[in-house]
Amino acid sequence: MADLASPVAVDPAVAVYELLPDDSGAAPISDDDAQEAEHQRAFLRQNAHWFCRLRWLVAGFLTTCGLAAWLPVWSPQLALQQLPGWLLTSGVVLLVANAAFQFTLTCWPLDGHPGRLRLHLWCQIVLDLVVLTVVVHSLRGHLIYAPVAYLFHIILACIFFPRWESLAVTIVAAALLGTLVPIEATGILSPPPGLVETVVGTFDQASWTWQLASLLGIWGIIWFLASRLAAELREGRRELAAANRRLEASSVERAAHMLQTTHQLKAPFAAIHANTQLLLNGYVGPLSAAARAVIDKIASRAQLLSQQIQEMLQLANLRSQSQAKPVLAALELRALVQRGVERIEPQASLRGISLNTRLEPVFVRGSDDYLIMLIDNLLNNAVNYSYNGGCVSVACQPGDEQTARLVIRDQGIGIPAEKLPHVFQDYYRTTEATQHNKASTGLGLAIVRLVAQALQAQVRIESLPGWGTRVTLLLPRVSDPAPAE
Amino acid sequence: MAYLLIVDDDEDFADAVATVCRAEGHEVAVANNAAAAEASLAARLPDAVILDVMFPENPCGGFELARSIRKKWGACPVLMLTAVNQQFPLGFSHKDIDSTWLPVSDFVEKPVDFAILKSKLNDLLNQPRQPR
Repeated sequence: MADLASPVAVDPAVAVYELLPDDSGAAPISDDDAQEAEHQRAFLRQNAHWFCRLRWLVAGFLTTCGLAAWLPVWSPQLALQQLPGWLLTSGVVLLVANAAFQFTLTCWPLDGHPGRLRLHLWCQIVLDLVVLTVVVHSLRGHLIYAPVAYLFHIILACIFFPRWESLAVTIVAAALLGTLVPIEATGILSPPPGLVETVVGTFDQASWTWQLASLLGIWGIIWFLASRLAAELREGRRELAAANRRLEASSVERAAHMLQTTHQLKAPFAAIHANTQLLLNGYVGPLSAAARAVIDKIASRAQLLSQQIQEMLQLANLRSQSQAKPVLAALELRALVQRGVERIEPQASLRGISLNTRLEPVFVRGSDDYLIMLIDNLLNNAVNYSYNGGCVSVACQPGDEQTARLVIRDQGIGIPAEKLPHVFQDYYRTTEATQHNKASTGLGLAIVRLVAQALQAQVRIESLPGWGTRVTLLLPRVSDPAPAE
Repeated sequence: MAYLLIVDDDEDFADAVATVCRAEGHEVAVANNAAAAEASLAARLPDAVILDVMFPENPCGGFELARSIRKKWGACPVLMLTAVNQQFPLGFSHKDIDSTWLPVSDFVEKPVDFAILKSKLNDLLNQPRQPR
């Protein structure tokens, strides 16, 4: 007889899934590395374009200076009379190269090739450094800070690239200047004709080696600090992005979980409720009065339990979301209140309670789900704690410039003054409320408190036994129906 | 008398609704999943479908089936039943009806009040069919 427990000889058609000890069982949220790489690509692409746009300005400036230097009117003022050829050549080289860079960025498929994007940026930087060295060589000595222009590229490289790559850019810049200065100082390469002061002229002829070493040393220090800072910023941003992705994923998972839980818990109650209705309405035969009373109790307790579970889930959901602000938009309060009134109407009419509304158009900043929760809970309370045949008034209107006002007034049992400060606590119910409405869960106003906090709304309750209760809700108002946030 | 299709994964609930509909004089078919519902629709087009939102294997199975019904049998009215309260994220309300993601004629929240269900069903059955 075959050993069924044997791990071998499994039919290849049998599907296998192993749950590993560290497997949460949840669906994978997202690939951090892939998202990080995508972010890096977008960052490089954006900066490659930006770099090109900036180069148009620099190339245009050099070309303009080169052309202006030919004009006798401008050249003395610009002190460029000896330089037009150098500047114009540099400007034109940059213009042509930049056109090529721009063309490749627009027309070549760089997006799917992060290596090409990197190479593109490298080409841009190296070309800039070479042209810069030519310009530095050709500049007059009064522009003694010209070598500092290399720092621009070193710092940009620190921002774009990992440390070793930015170090390579720094070394290229140092090599270019470190080559130019000695060959000028030793006379191998003559300065442009007619120029007395070249880049070497900015250095003391006697101690140019020491000064060049100092300058390169300063570049090194700046590279070290900038690359370290950029690396730390990159790491911080990466961690923040990963934390955000986890938060978003957990928020989506929680919402889906709440939805599934609600369905799983409410569905059995829906079946119980439907079947008790079948019994009570005589669909399956007549019932004795005693049997009807028992089924009534079962139905009402099942409904109460269902409502309690739903409110507990709402409360738990709100608490777990307390660190993540809801997405706010401009919403028309009147429409939301009108729909809330329509939802409560059947329940009110069963008890002969009339609903008087005076709803003015006003826009508030809020979240659809949250405002519905708020309005439904307040309207439910007003109807539940009214006397049969009573009246509930609902009004919404603009308050001052910053607020919209929603007022719900009932003429019900009211709340004693000493109990009023406790009504927003979880499961708090006054004795009077419990006697009047046995179906109360004591969670409605706790939900209202959390929702009001999330929406930065103010809730004011005025109440007196025998007079009833008036709840005034002040919500942040917006004048424009366009999305507020 | 109309021919109705009830689609709900909860057999107890579906049977209770079927009992009420039969007592109203309607002919009723019950399907407990989307595939059975599609097969039933293909075999005989009902006068109305009473459809649940969530199925065990697909939380949005009801929406998908509603879209499929609208696409294949556009004139068939759909009354959607749901145990998901609209106050939860991913919930929905009357304002979403007839939008592309919720192509149903009307909806009723569970637990269902049979008086409301019968009234909405009668409204749907008495409406003239909109040809597509």
